[in-house]
Order: sequence, then structure tokens, then C-alpha cells
Amino acid sequence: MAQPQVPVTVLTGYLGAGKTTLLNRILSEQHGKKYAVIVNEFGELGVDNDLVVNADEEVFEMNNGCICCTVRGDLIRIIDGLMKRKEKFDGILVETTGLADPGPVAQTFFIDDDVKTQTRLDAIVTVVDARHFLGQLEQGDEAEEQVAFADVILLNKTDLVDEAELARVEAKIRSMNRFARIHRTQKSGIALDAILDKHAFDLNRILEFEPDFLEHGHDHEHEEEIQSFSVSAERPVDPDKFRIWIGALLQLRGQDIFRCKGILAIDGAPRRFVFQGVHMLMESDWGTPWKPGDARTSKLVFIGRNLDVENLRRGFQDCLK
Amino acid sequence: MKPDLGAPGWRETLPPQRALGCGAPITATAFSADGAIVAFAAGDGGVRRLPAAIDGSALPEADPAHKGAALSLIADPAGPGFVSGGDDGRLLRHDADGTVSEIASHQGRWVERLAGHRGSRTLAASAGKFVLVERAGARREIGPYPSTVSDLDLARDGGRVAAAHYGGVTVTSLGDPAASPRRFAWRGSHLALRWSPDLKFLATGTQENDIHVWRLAQATDMRMQGYPSKVKSLAWSADARFLFTSSQPVFTAWPFAGKGPEGKPPVQFGEEGAGLITVVATHPAGDFVAGGYDSGEIQLGDMQTKRSVVLRLADGSAINCIAWSPDGWKLAAGTQAGDQIVIDLRR
Repeated sequence: MAQPQVPVTVLTGYLGAGKTTLLNRILSEQHGKKYAVIVNEFGELGVDNDLVVNADEEVFEMNNGCICCTVRGDLIRIIDGLMKRKEKFDGILVETTGLADPGPVAQTFFIDDDVKTQTRLDAIVTVVDARHFLGQLEQGDEAEEQVAFADVILLNKTDLVDEAELARVEAKIRSMNRFARIHRTQKSGIALDAILDKHAFDLNRILEFEPDFLEHGHDHEHEEEIQSFSVSAERPVDPDKFRIWIGALLQLRGQDIFRCKGILAIDGAPRRFVFQGVHMLMESDWGTPWKPGDARTSKLVFIGRNLDVENLRRGFQDCLK
Repeated sequence: MKPDLGAPGWRETLPPQRALGCGAPITATAFSADGAIVAFAAGDGGVRRLPAAIDGSALPEADPAHKGAALSLIADPAGPGFVSGGDDGRLLRHDADGTVSEIASHQGRWVERLAGHRGSRTLAASAGKFVLVERAGARREIGPYPSTVSDLDLARDGGRVAAAHYGGVTVTSLGDPAASPRRFAWRGSHLALRWSPDLKFLATGTQENDIHVWRLAQATDMRMQGYPSKVKSLAWSADARFLFTSSQPVFTAWPFAGKGPEGKPPVQFGEEGAGLITVVATHPAGDFVAGGYDSGEIQLGDMQTKRSVVLRLADGSAINCIAWSPDGWKLAAGTQAGDQIVIDLRR
């Protein structure tokens, strides 16, 4: 009895960036959809709604010794509980605290079978305070990690800064994560279809992000810790070499690699090979077939901290036929 | 007297049973203390009480119970009715005449797990990181625990409550509030918790596809691995010799008689069912075990003869809960699709 998987949107952002405003809008607007919202501080939302569930943001480490395998057990429990309600949801939103690392939330969707069966991770949406973002980067790792993980970024409170400042903030965001879609907003005003049901983690639709892959960004400033990087190749990929390389890479450097994804032209294979990862966890599948005349280009994307770009490029090139 | 699963009737026909659908996932089921009534808690917030006898009675109106989903249900350890908990944070008492009264309300916390002990009239209910205990009318709140309480169990003598949480299990004395709690540590998330009837062992099923067992006297522990999925249901045989577990296609039990299970394989028996067992429940006194599958199949196993028979055929909707009547002649079960099932083993 396969039921459609409920899309789950993870909403992150530093304290005061505008997450609560956005959630209130989603809960109060007339859109004819039913969303459950998992929040970390009950009562902060102005809307009285029994679809708002309180989570304790409880992260546990797995026993397997892998420090990246921290998981939100409360999410597993709450999603299981929500699926026992009679009413069905069009989507679930998970709000994380302003100081949370989005990693454990995303990893939960890679690790737990029940969660994977009943729901799918749709996208990570990060709300950025245009006025305070550059200052928040100085406060610790959270603000930049939230941007690094994002598929969609709301550059919010644009009315509080001038255009020059806005351009500086946007350039900074781009230098860290040039694959996310950025929407400039005021008071978290955004069409819901710009943030919900984006299929950003859907392996079958990873190709829809292709335009971003091709956009070769400017050279990053070298002092920056977090950056995004892409590499492409025209020669076919040797699957065995690639498997060994990416496995070792994520094993050794997974803590610093927040997101990775790619489309590979495997030597002799009629279909695209698609994969994505969060820290050390990775999933992969065969994607759509190559059509005659398609340029068989392989593309890889990494977002992480202290990426050794030259080493990554060389490592990937060694996987080519 | 007990069912003889070797008798040919068990292979030819299913035993008498009844299934009434309510359209919402069934989350918990229990028989009343006298066995006359069976109740089901559902994802629409309702608690429905039916005669346990398989007669022609229609599905009754639900007790007006919880606002969201009813998540937990047990026979009231202090009365003839039931107690239920819901995701609206309320803990409710359902009297035999259908009157519903609120025992406690914790806004923003789910009341997910309940345990009762009739002799001492003790009720324990989890609500977030706390456990509410009602004991012979007096109330006490224990906590906060290190994380949300994922399961709880009362000792067979009613004197202690064990709560599972991240990083292990905490045992708290109920008779002596001054006694400090005992912590049994093992990293990770523990999903199911059962105290052995002889009170020598505490067992948990974990998120990481294994079983963890602590020996209380020596505070030593052991770990049993090899499950294909996380273990969400555990049940000890009444004589404490076997610990049955979910998450296998056949009945699977670890032997605790003698030197215990270390270095031994688990006992596995019966017909391979459709899918994996999601819930197990052991007979209140005898050598029988019932298992519900993620396919909707239900099997009954006999620990003595190592036989099993199918009690209900798979219909594609997982069995979420299963319970024995106090006399051990009936089974109640509920499915994700909303079927409320009663099976009579006196065929």
C-alpha cells in the first residue's frame, strides 16, 4: 500500500532572520494546503494551530563510531506520530533553532527507514537577515553552515539595507554556496511554490539543477572557509575508480563536506548515474538515459569547509577513462 | 487447557475473528481488566470500546477523547476502564460507563507511552522528558530525563519505573522517593524497553538494529545484533526464559535460562511470514507468542512445540499493535489502515 511520500522542508536561519514570520505566513495564508510544522520553541508562533508540534531538537550520536552520524531521533518519533493521524498532510516543515547545524536533520532522512518510507526530504531553506548576516558570520559557524547547506535562500529584510550593502551580502552568500537559489524578500514575503515542493534531494530530478552546474562562478576569495566548487569532465568515468575515490573522500573529509551531488557519464552505461551526499552519507541511483546527441558530460558539485579544490579536481580526473 | 496448534483445524481455517474498520490508523489496543471489553486508540483521536466477545455488535461511537491522535492505551490499573494518552498532551481516564475524565494535561508534549501495575494501582505515563506517576491516587512527576522518554515499563512488583531515553535507561524507585535513580548507559536511541518478569534484566530495542540487555545485579550488559531494521517491539515470556523481538520474518527469541544468551544463537521457529514482524506480544501465563507483521499478517507461535499458525492473512497494512486478553484466549490487534481486530483462539 504505497502512499505518496510527504515532502519535508527544513527551515533554517539565524536567530531573528525571519523564520517565525515565514512560518506564520504559511500557517495563516489561504492556500488550501495542510502543512504540519515542527518547531523547537512552542508558543513562539502566533498562530494557534494543532498542526504545530514541539520538538526538543534532540540529536544523538550513533554507536557506529562515525562522528558525522548524528541524527534527530525526535524527528523520527514525531514523523512516525504524525503519520498515525487520520488527516494527511501536503507537507511538513521542520524549523531548526537559530544555532542549529542542519546536518543532523538532513542525515535523519538518509538513515531512518521509516522516515524514508513515509516522507522525503524536499529542500533546505535558509532565511538570511540582510542587515546582520555579515556580522553573524563573525559569531561562529552556524550562520555560514546554514547557508552552505541551503537549496533555497531567502535574503530577507532587504528593506533595511541599501543596494550596495545588499550586493555585498549576496556576493558573500554566492561565494559560499553558488548553487542555491536566492530570493530577495521583505518580511519573509515569498510565494510558497518558491520554497516548497522543490525536489532538491530527488535523485530523479537532480538534472533540473543542471543550469547551476554550468554556471562557473568567479574565483572565490582565498581566506574564505566555506566555499562551493564544481568540476566537469567530457571523458567517461570509470565506475570502480570513482567508487573508491568518493568513498575514501567522504570517509576522510566528510565532516567538512556539507553537500555533494553529481551526474556521471559512466563508461559504457546507457543511463546517467546520479548521486548526492550529506557529510559522510551518500545515496546514488541510475537516472535518465542518455539520448543520442547528448553531450555526455559528468558534473560534480561540492559545498564544504576548507575544500582542497586542486586535490578534488585531480582526484576526479584520475577517475576518468 | 491450551490451544493445540498441531490440530488440523488450525491449518485449514482461520480462527473466529472480527475486524471493524474506523478509517484512522490504530495506535494501541488493550483488554479491560476483566477481559469483557476491548478498546482501540486511533489516529482520529478516538478511543472505541467493544465487547470482547465476537458477536454481531456494530462499531460503537468513539469516546470523545483526544484532539489530534490517540497514541497510547492500557487497561486502567486503578479501575475497570482504560487510560489513554494523545498528541494533544492529555492523559485521560475512560470509566466503564464511557465517562471520560482528564488525569493530566501537558500542552506541547505527546503522551506516548503508558504502563500500569494493578496490584499497587500504579499508572506511569510519558510526556516529553517527564514521566507522570499516579500511585494509589497520589501523583508524582519524574524528570527531566536526558531526552524525550521513548518507552517505559514498570517492574513486575510495581515498585520501580524504568524509562528509555537517549544514552540508556533510568530506573527510579517509586516506593522511596529519596532513593537516587540508577542509570544504565549505552549510547544511541533506545526505542522499546521491557523489564524481564523475574526483574533480573532490562532489555531495549535500538535505532541501530540491535538489542541491548543489562543484567541488573552485576550492571553488566550485552548486545545482540543482526536485525535488518530497528527493533521497536520486545516481549518476555511469562517465565522470563525468552525475550521475543520484532523485525524478523519468524518468531525470534533470545534464551535467558541458565547462563543467558551470550555466545548462543537466538531461537527461531515457525512459518516464515509475509514481511517482518512489527509487534510481538507474549501470552500472559503460558508458552504462546503472537506476532503482527508489516504486511498485516498475524501469527501465533507455541514455544513448546515450536509450531506457528497464521491467524490473519496479510492485507498490505501493517499491524501497529497487538494485545492478549487476561485469560489468554483472545487477541486484539490494530492496523495502520484502521482495522480493529479481535481473534478468538477457543475454536
